[in-house]
Amino acid sequence: MESIKDQMDLGMMDLNQATFYVGEGGFTGLRYKGEDYKHIVLRRIMPIDQPLHYISVADQENKEICILKAVADLPQDQRDIVERELDSRYYSPEVLDLMSVKDKLGYVYMEMRLRNKQGKEYDKSCAVKDVSRNIRMLSNNSVIIFDVDGNRYVVSDLGALNKQSLRRLDAYLF
Amino acid sequence: MKVHIFEYDLAMDMSAGTGRLIFKENGQIIAEEGTEVKHTISVANIEEAVVRAGVGCGLLFVKMKTSGDKSNHVILCRFTMSGLVPAGEFCKIVNHYIRTGTAAIPETTEKRSCEKCGRPLVKDLSVCVFCYNHLSVLKRAGSFLKPYAKTLGLSQVLSMLTLLAFLSSPLFIRMLIDNYLYVQQGTFAQVALIGVIMLAVSYSGEIIFIITARMFNRAAVSVANDLRVATYQKLQSHSMSLFAKRTPGDLIRRIMDDTGTVGDFITDLGRWMLELIVLITLSLTILFITNWRLTLLVLIPVPIVIIGMYNFRLIMRARFERQWRKGAKVNSILHDIIKGIRTIKAFGNEKREIEKYAAANHENATIASQNEVLWALMFPPMGFVTGIGEFLVLFFGGWMVLNGTISVGVLVQFTMYLGFIFWPLRVLVNLPRWIANTTTSMVKVFEILDDESEITEAASPKNVPIAGEVSYDSVTFGYKSYEPVLKGIDLKIQPGEMIGLVGKSGVGKSTLINLAMRLYDPNTGRIAINDTDIRDMSPNHLHENTGVVFQDSFLFAGTYFDNIAYGKPGATYEEVIAASKAANAHDFITQTADGYDTLIGEGGATLSGGERQRLSIARAIIKNPDLLILDEATSSLDVETEALIQESLDRITKGRTTIAIAHRLSTLRNADRLVVLNEGAVAEVGTHSELLRKKGFYYNLVMAQRQNSRKEEETA
Repeated sequence: MESIKDQMDLGMMDLNQATFYVGEGGFTGLRYKGEDYKHIVLRRIMPIDQPLHYISVADQENKEICILKAVADLPQDQRDIVERELDSRYYSPEVLDLMSVKDKLGYVYMEMRLRNKQGKEYDKSCAVKDVSRNIRMLSNNSVIIFDVDGNRYVVSDLGALNKQSLRRLDAYLF
Repeated sequence: MKVHIFEYDLAMDMSAGTGRLIFKENGQIIAEEGTEVKHTISVANIEEAVVRAGVGCGLLFVKMKTSGDKSNHVILCRFTMSGLVPAGEFCKIVNHYIRTGTAAIPETTEKRSCEKCGRPLVKDLSVCVFCYNHLSVLKRAGSFLKPYAKTLGLSQVLSMLTLLAFLSSPLFIRMLIDNYLYVQQGTFAQVALIGVIMLAVSYSGEIIFIITARMFNRAAVSVANDLRVATYQKLQSHSMSLFAKRTPGDLIRRIMDDTGTVGDFITDLGRWMLELIVLITLSLTILFITNWRLTLLVLIPVPIVIIGMYNFRLIMRARFERQWRKGAKVNSILHDIIKGIRTIKAFGNEKREIEKYAAANHENATIASQNEVLWALMFPPMGFVTGIGEFLVLFFGGWMVLNGTISVGVLVQFTMYLGFIFWPLRVLVNLPRWIANTTTSMVKVFEILDDESEITEAASPKNVPIAGEVSYDSVTFGYKSYEPVLKGIDLKIQPGEMIGLVGKSGVGKSTLINLAMRLYDPNTGRIAINDTDIRDMSPNHLHENTGVVFQDSFLFAGTYFDNIAYGKPGATYEEVIAASKAANAHDFITQTADGYDTLIGEGGATLSGGERQRLSIARAIIKNPDLLILDEATSSLDVETEALIQESLDRITKGRTTIAIAHRLSTLRNADRLVVLNEGAVAEVGTHSELLRKKGFYYNLVMAQRQNSRKEEETA
């Protein structure tokens, strides 16, 4: 029997018929198979450690139009638009330094030095609740921290983190 | 001119920056990024302001009116998730202006930063985690001791007597050695007398200890119980929004564990700590009075012990916390395996699950073993340091005895009091942790006690009859302030009318009835019965006269009788039978071994879906409610059972104001009017046939369902 993958139409994007563009209001649009979607939503489906693979493209009513398998398959100008749109939907600055990690009233309060995608560095403090769920270690030696407001911060390489920061974070990694 | 300002923290290119969205009371929106004005828009040109949450960030955009183009949207700003709620508030004010033409600008906005240190307050916490005052929290917890003040005061006095008895023994031994044994003077009777006195003092101390322990324990249980009841009562008076923002596990932990921790600390741990502090203080006082030079010598290791134990505790705390988390992970895996055993077996995944559990268990065992080794390695050096104190006493004390500065009895007394100082110190280094743990629990409990319910009871409630006209006047509501579910609902329901609520999933049908039951209050607008705002009525009056049947009704552990009579405490046998007959439940109940007195399992797990639903209908109608609410009451049932239940529903809704939601549109065919909701607003109102003729939203829904049924029939 053929696999389920062959039985189903996965709706993978036909790259020859897709053109992304940025509209006047600041939203990203897509012309695809004769239709013009002026306000699209891009969502990372998986895997969490490969953020430029398997991107679901939906219209403003959240109805999926197609799935983009790899952003790298697009021409450079198209890739820039998609990456810009993904960056504006997924905001997770890189943790450079953990200056302080303290348990306070059942929350873990962190003071961090962060760097965003544009390379700007800044300090931020946040509180993390239920650390076993909200400090999530990924398989590729990276960590995502979710704070109580719903912000997320990424340590993309634990090995690159300074020793003191690593020691402060270590108690919460498992 | 009044303005409302939302300060955001991301630039359009997603770099960290600052900007402001300003809404002026003349209906103008100005978007500034840094010092640059990006947009100036009149609200007259806007259809709606919308907040969209992304992942770790969000954006606020406006839908422009100027064109028929649905996609004519303009992004005004972007922000991190910390700005989501204020952005929602901003939209609410703009959208209110769009609907009503009036600017509802709040006088003040809620301050979410600590007044003392300026740090932002943690979401859902009303105190700053850095600046809250341990002592004030402890003092407040102390107010729960008031009813037991006499018992606790008496037992504290008795405790101090026990302590004095304990402290007196070295003095007796010194007297025995110096006055009788060392000088070999005195009679056996005198020595025996001191022995008997020591024995009597010691035994009296033990008896008093037993009495005080019982007194303290009783008070501890009572204090924890009082706290638990107060917290539970507060929870019951809250709106559903509290239950939406806190998980059941979190609330149960606060009611059971945190109140227990507070009770234990106040009456048990606190008492013990007090005793240890008194023990150290009195021992030191006696030592200083006896010989202050020797006392200073023996105290040399004390700072080393305190610093060493404190640091050791810090290291071990982090390690034990890690071990605790590993243990929790093992438990969680085991919990999943046992709960999902049917699925695991059906998929033949037993081996994989065993390996997963074994791996987690191995990790837990490894870290536990490492911690035990470290614990074993660290304690002997601490014992060695405290041993230095004893060595110094023997060394210098012995020298002083030999040169006649002190007596042998004093040396023995010194050694004994030294023990009274060192072992409490080892325990007391944990004091900061105990206080921190207890104040954490206290803050969690007080958060519930201090949380202001969004549902407040009017000072002078107007309890008008519920059997009147129900009206929704410009009702807007969202569970999250930035995501309105209902937008400006206007609806009038006549007395005795049956209204069917129809619409796609997520359009706000259940929300509409939640508001009618006052599980939440509208953000704007009002719901009135007989022209009286339901917020002006007592919630009890409203609930006593409203019956409700949910899709998945919860049954409590107890008998059939208990569950039906739950709707009307004190119901008679005849009332229970009548209600169950009306709900078509009587026949299956009478077939059980003990009839209405048959026990049903927790949650009614032993009953079929239809049986559970008929019981919940009986429970709803036993009080003969003026307003009946049916929320997908028959959705989860098969067609045959649904017909049985529909028959009972037709009977009980006759002449009674009813608001019903049903997934299967055919079950609402007999409703007096159908109200179709779309995107949180009323899209159509009319009878079944009127709406079919209109060929609008309802027509499309009916056609879609018919098509599905046809497909199912063809497949079958």
